[in-house]
Amino acid sequence: MNDDSPSKILIDNVWHNNPIFIQILGICSTLAVTNNMTNTLIMTLGVMFVAAFTNVTVSLLKNFIPRKVRMILQTLIISFYVIIVDILLRAYLPEISKALGPYVGLIITNCIIMGRAEAFAQSHGPLISAWDGITSGLGYLWVLMVIAFVRELMGFGTLFGIAVLPESFTTWTIMVMAPSAFFLLGSVLWFAKAMILKQERGK
Amino acid sequence: MKKDTLAYTVIFTAISAFIFVSLLSLAFGATKGKVEENNKITEARAYLTAAGIPLTEEMDVQSEFASAYPNFDETKSFQETSINGETILVGPFQGNGLWGSISGVLGLTTDFERIVGFEIITHVETPGLGGRIDEAWFKEQFRGEFVGEGLIVRHGGSGGDSDSENGEVDGITGASRTSDSIQEIINRQIINMKSAYGGTTNE
Repeated sequence: MNDDSPSKILIDNVWHNNPIFIQILGICSTLAVTNNMTNTLIMTLGVMFVAAFTNVTVSLLKNFIPRKVRMILQTLIISFYVIIVDILLRAYLPEISKALGPYVGLIITNCIIMGRAEAFAQSHGPLISAWDGITSGLGYLWVLMVIAFVRELMGFGTLFGIAVLPESFTTWTIMVMAPSAFFLLGSVLWFAKAMILKQERGK
Repeated sequence: MKKDTLAYTVIFTAISAFIFVSLLSLAFGATKGKVEENNKITEARAYLTAAGIPLTEEMDVQSEFASAYPNFDETKSFQETSINGETILVGPFQGNGLWGSISGVLGLTTDFERIVGFEIITHVETPGLGGRIDEAWFKEQFRGEFVGEGLIVRHGGSGGDSDSENGEVDGITGASRTSDSIQEIINRQIINMKSAYGGTTNE
């Protein structure tokens, strides 16, 4: 079972099988939240948390879940953890909760979580499934943070809300709007694919 | 028991739903007090900011609120407070944004010529776009703004409007609809507070 070693899962989820630029999952949140690094970080950590716990839960219950209602139960489990995240944010991080608004709820529709539950947790043990969830979240986090870095820097001249570019810098309005996420995501895809192809040719 | 029978499927689904929802309501109940407290603090902060009282980190918001609004009566459409001998009217507003309602408070001078302060309490506008109405630079534009002839939330331009005599503030790029909503909400709120105030003094 060399395929399922923790280090292989890590490299796969973060690079070779990255949820964003290889599987092209979770794109709507990529377009929506990435014009601000703080929001992006909290949102992706939320996805990581939900993916990990959903995977554990699905993995633990996999032998009891009837096939016919498998997906609806996965959705139930995902919603459960997302609402938990929402409740925790509202109680302990009200500022962030306010800033993210409806996007916390939208984690439910993030295809990465259900994708991993269906593709991995259904056929693996709970511990390794948790690891798969965490690393998938990590693969999602770093790509979104790269996009958010460029968008916030160019769009607002700030990073994590702290001004880093001089006042005289003309901010690029397009970077604040959704279309720029398309361009940047496309560039990330292009770049990552080119690197992967180069690696493969080198072998 | 066979997993694919109808009875098993129905019973399993019902029990799972019951367990997950029970856990959620437990979590909700456990954090309810905390969330309410957060909401109270947010509201108190809004009332203080709208009256032009600067907030500091170490300040006890609740006690400051109690001293600024000794006669707070939430059934009234506005509260009165006095800053340096000048009476300021602060009233809560609610209106439609792009995705849902926007609520907050508006502070006005008794001649209704100038805004003292403007603060958002809740909104569900797009994070990073319309959601920026809750950022300091946007709200600070309203401070001391002349609104004798109504307020205009401008489209185009950037970096905020520092002229407090022109009755204009800068809208948010990429969020024209939210900016328009704010314009409408504030102008309506000024009229509402004016008529409510006129009613109390029998003018």
